[in-house]
Amino acid sequence: MTPDELLRELGELAMSLGPAVRPAETDELLRSLTQTARRLFGAAACSLALLTEDDSELVYTTAAGEGADDVTGMRIPSTQGIAGWVVQSGQPIAISDLANDPRFAREVAEQTGYVPQTILAVPVETAQRMLGVLSLLDRDAARPGAEQDMALLSLFADQAALALASVDRFSILGKVLLDALAEAATGSDLVLALRQAADGLPAADADLAALAAAFAALARRGAAERRLALALVRDIGDYVERRPPRAR
Amino acid sequence: MPIDKAWAWGGGSGSGITVAVVDSGIDAAHPAVRAVDRAVALQWDAETEQVASTEGPHDDLFGHGTACAGIIRRAAPDVTLWSIRVLGSRLTGKGIVFAAGLRWAITQGARVVNLSLSTGREDYFGLFHEIADEAAFAGVVLVCATNNVSAPTYPAQFSSVISVAAHDGQDPFCLDANPAPPVDFGAPGIDITVPWLSGGTIVSTGNSFAAPHVTGLVARMLSKHPHLRPYEVKTILRAVASNGVAGRTSDDD
Repeated sequence: MTPDELLRELGELAMSLGPAVRPAETDELLRSLTQTARRLFGAAACSLALLTEDDSELVYTTAAGEGADDVTGMRIPSTQGIAGWVVQSGQPIAISDLANDPRFAREVAEQTGYVPQTILAVPVETAQRMLGVLSLLDRDAARPGAEQDMALLSLFADQAALALASVDRFSILGKVLLDALAEAATGSDLVLALRQAADGLPAADADLAALAAAFAALARRGAAERRLALALVRDIGDYVERRPPRAR
Repeated sequence: MPIDKAWAWGGGSGSGITVAVVDSGIDAAHPAVRAVDRAVALQWDAETEQVASTEGPHDDLFGHGTACAGIIRRAAPDVTLWSIRVLGSRLTGKGIVFAAGLRWAITQGARVVNLSLSTGREDYFGLFHEIADEAAFAGVVLVCATNNVSAPTYPAQFSSVISVAAHDGQDPFCLDANPAPPVDFGAPGIDITVPWLSGGTIVSTGNSFAAPHVTGLVARMLSKHPHLRPYEVKTILRAVASNGVAGRTSDDD
């Protein structure tokens, strides 16, 4: 195997392994973050919506409080409503009489059955990318003006962005690894080889990544679960081997 | 003669001054807006990979542009209003579309541009720096809402623009000067009633509502003193701020 091939294999291996070794706590962290924000601000609900890969939609991934079950998984176009405004403009906003925005009230009521009076929404972003929006519904009316809570909620949004950025890095672990080696390496040939290997890596395969992540989650359950999963996968492998080939 | 509010904008109505609102569009029929003199909508065309523009009347897709226009109209009733819609179509190419809208305002001859949006993306630093310079050299005043987060956003971060955050007050003629920029001024933006969709109003909070207050005052000032350059405008705003040095002479010290 030539050094170039070795580097490429190393990168591809890391790329496939990345999702398996990503911190399992991220989802829990985000859930805890929305729960903490909801309690701290005395709000009826707190939710996190993330932009899809192509930025066309916002998907509510995490929610706590009123209507949380209905909100989780909800998708809205990123070009609409208060949340859409926040990701488009990059500006936080608070509205204290939502009933006066008839379009908003109708849309939300249709999807969740809960119509808030007030909303406070801040962008979740890194220096590279807009990631989504963190929203508080009906925060405690006894709290002082929205401006201070807006700044505080932005700190929560920064934490969410940090957690999400680290998950992102695991999904492109091979590239991150080779880039980091290139940063550390001296000697232009090696640096060049590493950079080329990194650039030549295939994009992360979402299905494989999900599979790897599922295995990692199982593995953390214990040895018996690990053996069960392994046996199942081997059975599936045998079955696929014996099955007549599919027409293409 | 002291530089005070009466000198700065007393009797000014914004007449003869073109103010461009780069936002989500403006509802020209809203009673608080009354009229929009020119409207252009820009969006990213994925096929040609270029910004496409359509001139002609359009709607406000969120309500926000109408809110800004209403605030400006209240402060400077006779301004010529332009709506440059850069938000609401799609997110792809957003920064480029935003930059193109800003450039359109500058090259078409707007005198003041209200930007209640900004980008935190580092790759746009250079582009917006260049445009902020173009505006400054052309004598166009850029008024930008700052973000509440600690990270810099562009073009609000640049020294040639007037950057505004919300302060706790309702008087549209009252400004605070920030002794520690990059945020230059505080203006009303907390729990204020603003025009919104369908001819209505809402009570809202955000730095993006503070910026148009300053935009309106700048338009008034320019209608009274048409030859002011952007840096002079900023200096005068500083002088008339509630914590500024209005009316003071060296004897006061």
